[in-house]
Amino acid sequence: MSSTDSLATPRPARRGFKLGFGLRDAGTLIGLVAIVVVFAALSPNFLTERNLLNILQQSSINACVALGMTLVIIAGGIDLSVGPTAAIAAVAAAAMMVGGAPILLAIPAALLFGMACGAVNGILVAYGGLQPFIVTLGTLSLYRASALIYTGGNPIFGIPPEFRALFNGAILGIPTPVVIVAVLALLVWIVLNKTPLGEYFLAVGGNEEASHIAGVPVAMTKIASYVISGGLAAIAGLILVGRLGAADPTLGNLWELDAIAAAAIGGASLMGGKGSVIGTLLGAIILGTLRNGLTLLNVQAFYQLLATGLIILVAMLIDRATRGRG
Amino acid sequence: MTSSDPDRLRLIDIGKSFGPLRALDGVGMSVKRGTVHGLLGENGAGKSTLLRILSGVFEPSAGHVEVDGVRLSGHGPVAARRAGIAMIHQELQHVPELTVAQNMFLGRPLRTAGGLLVDRRAQERAAAQALAPLDAAIDPAAPIRSLKVAQRQVVEIARAMMEDAKVLAMDEPTSSLTPAEFDRLAVLIADLAAKGVSIIYVSHKMDEVFRVCETATILRDGRKVADVALKDTSEAEVIARMVGRELAAAGHKGFAREEVVLDVANLTRGSAVKNTSFKLRRGEVLGISGLVGAGRTELLRLIAGVDRPDSGAIRVENKPLALGRPRAAIAAGLGLLPEERKRDGIVARRSVRSNIALSSMHRFSRGGFVKKRALSRESERLMRELNLRPLDIERPIGQFSGGNQQKAIIGRWIAAGARILLFDEPTRGIDVGAKAEIYALIEKLASEGRSMIVVSSELPEILRVSDRVLVMREGTIAGILEREAISEEAIVALAVPRSETAAAPSPTLSATGS
Repeated sequence: MSSTDSLATPRPARRGFKLGFGLRDAGTLIGLVAIVVVFAALSPNFLTERNLLNILQQSSINACVALGMTLVIIAGGIDLSVGPTAAIAAVAAAAMMVGGAPILLAIPAALLFGMACGAVNGILVAYGGLQPFIVTLGTLSLYRASALIYTGGNPIFGIPPEFRALFNGAILGIPTPVVIVAVLALLVWIVLNKTPLGEYFLAVGGNEEASHIAGVPVAMTKIASYVISGGLAAIAGLILVGRLGAADPTLGNLWELDAIAAAAIGGASLMGGKGSVIGTLLGAIILGTLRNGLTLLNVQAFYQLLATGLIILVAMLIDRATRGRG
Repeated sequence: MTSSDPDRLRLIDIGKSFGPLRALDGVGMSVKRGTVHGLLGENGAGKSTLLRILSGVFEPSAGHVEVDGVRLSGHGPVAARRAGIAMIHQELQHVPELTVAQNMFLGRPLRTAGGLLVDRRAQERAAAQALAPLDAAIDPAAPIRSLKVAQRQVVEIARAMMEDAKVLAMDEPTSSLTPAEFDRLAVLIADLAAKGVSIIYVSHKMDEVFRVCETATILRDGRKVADVALKDTSEAEVIARMVGRELAAAGHKGFAREEVVLDVANLTRGSAVKNTSFKLRRGEVLGISGLVGAGRTELLRLIAGVDRPDSGAIRVENKPLALGRPRAAIAAGLGLLPEERKRDGIVARRSVRSNIALSSMHRFSRGGFVKKRALSRESERLMRELNLRPLDIERPIGQFSGGNQQKAIIGRWIAAGARILLFDEPTRGIDVGAKAEIYALIEKLASEGRSMIVVSSELPEILRVSDRVLVMREGTIAGILEREAISEEAIVALAVPRSETAAAPSPTLSATGS
């Protein structure tokens, strides 16, 4: 049949949408640069190689947790239990190592614990039909209690020095945790952008019912997102244990909030279906930079908190305003 | 009424641009007191933009609106409402948990003397008063969610009347009404018009427009094409003006072969689908007709594995199908094209390519990675073949028109190797022009040996595409008509429950009017 123009151009095409994610990431980067410029002007000690590496190091744990959070959020969920999950993994690894187990056994075991915690979340969400917020709010307490009960509330000391060395060294001058998280970020980016699982995360979070009808394994997709989140939280827990030399059952308190903030600043939509690995990394670095810079300027902790809150809100408002209204 | 009556509503030289895009250009329209005036055009012709300008959501870039000769002062929804323009949206805007009365007074509650508390009793009295002439059976204290869609619409109309609306704009008011409900709505509209209210009626369904409206304005590409008096024209002429060319009224072509590809036996789920058995042959198009709520959509969902039947069996190409599992159904070669594309069909934010890939990831991945190049090549080829416009598989599917979204979903199932396609209202929300294209596609798919079930509420559509027609009534099969026996009368006779036949002697499904 002959085609007329009225049919060929049905809708106003929004230009640049194809680059949407890239543009959004560029926006986050501009925000980071702006913050860096301000601190560089205010403090002479800020823009030094050492301090910049410091910032990356300080941001690495949050970035690690936030990567998993990003996948969960993209798939339409939320994971409030990341902190206690990290604590369980940390405590488990520490107890094993103190008990004489080799490091090469303790680390995978910790990972398994983290992924198991995630699997429980995922199964309750996917098969229990409960809302992710409620499920992970419940397991937040559950996992924390488990770590506290197992340790009697006391930190586990006596972490082997080889384990500590693993996370305190540097590779080519870059702190090991930063390298680890960079590699993990690359893996997560590949999962999200290059694998069927990544397509499924975006599809399920974007429209669960349509995905179901289209034959996407919705339940397994959701569970996978929580399992990955649990695994990454476990690694974050291990990094912290390596840095501190002890496994505290209360570690990871409020990590979930920092991770959600990083993901949201990076462009993840809490409604699901949208998010960016690069954005989340930048988001975590923004939060880390803010804390570092304010500390250098001797700003009190309370005001640091204030600044963090403001940055999150401002970032979201800018995001909203630049996207415009339909 | 006489022609010397002053115009109740005048749109003067309305223009609206969104950036470089001109949605409306110099549109003028006048509606007399107490007239029902149709607003016609394809999707994207500018109808919704015009309605939004009318209801104050958009400010026109040029021109203005007059009610009873008075130019609308200011803009915004409040100004429009104050001027007496009310709007009934296609998707009714209610808070389901609140009562009828609460919804009617939403945003401007009646207060008790002190002004602090909401006077629910007074609200309910006023609501009852407004509802009485329309449908006295509606209880103002009942929660909105307990009402049927048709009743909610009446609530909406009552609310408009309560505000003394002079102009009532209705956007696709019948999209989820049964024929009997439409009959009642038509009477209601006539009553309102007799009271002097002017009604703007927007609908895709030509037979309705011809039944309800006296005059109409036809838009195409943001411009007015014509003002017509409907009694002086025909459906074909109106459609030709909407699309800007004559649509060939193609006849039916059948490609059915002997071989049975789908055998449904005694399928039952609750009271929605009861003991349903039928067979589908290769290359056959089986139409399923029936009233809204007869169980047609539910039947399709059972076959596609989206819902699990209580009992029954399905065989696809002589192999038993595991029930209640979409992935099993897809693997067996079935594909469902849902009615509510936005809700059940597409992931709006994702590209056409991603939406196509969703059902055939196993085909387009190796070693855990998506084969993007192969996927792009295949998507591009399919979309060229299905005539996606614009042909841009990277563009988010949500930015395409309904017809093009439908083509992408068809592409999804072809890519997944589907041999049996289950269409639920394949042209709902799709332009008249694109409709013909979808029909041609259905025919093409049939000629390739694919089989199809087409559920549709539009009789002309059923007549156009079906080799056989299965008519459902209250969850059961009322009858199956062979091609020679298919007629609107025969379908309607089977579709309408006995009790309703007695009550409404001349039910129209969506039959052609003239």
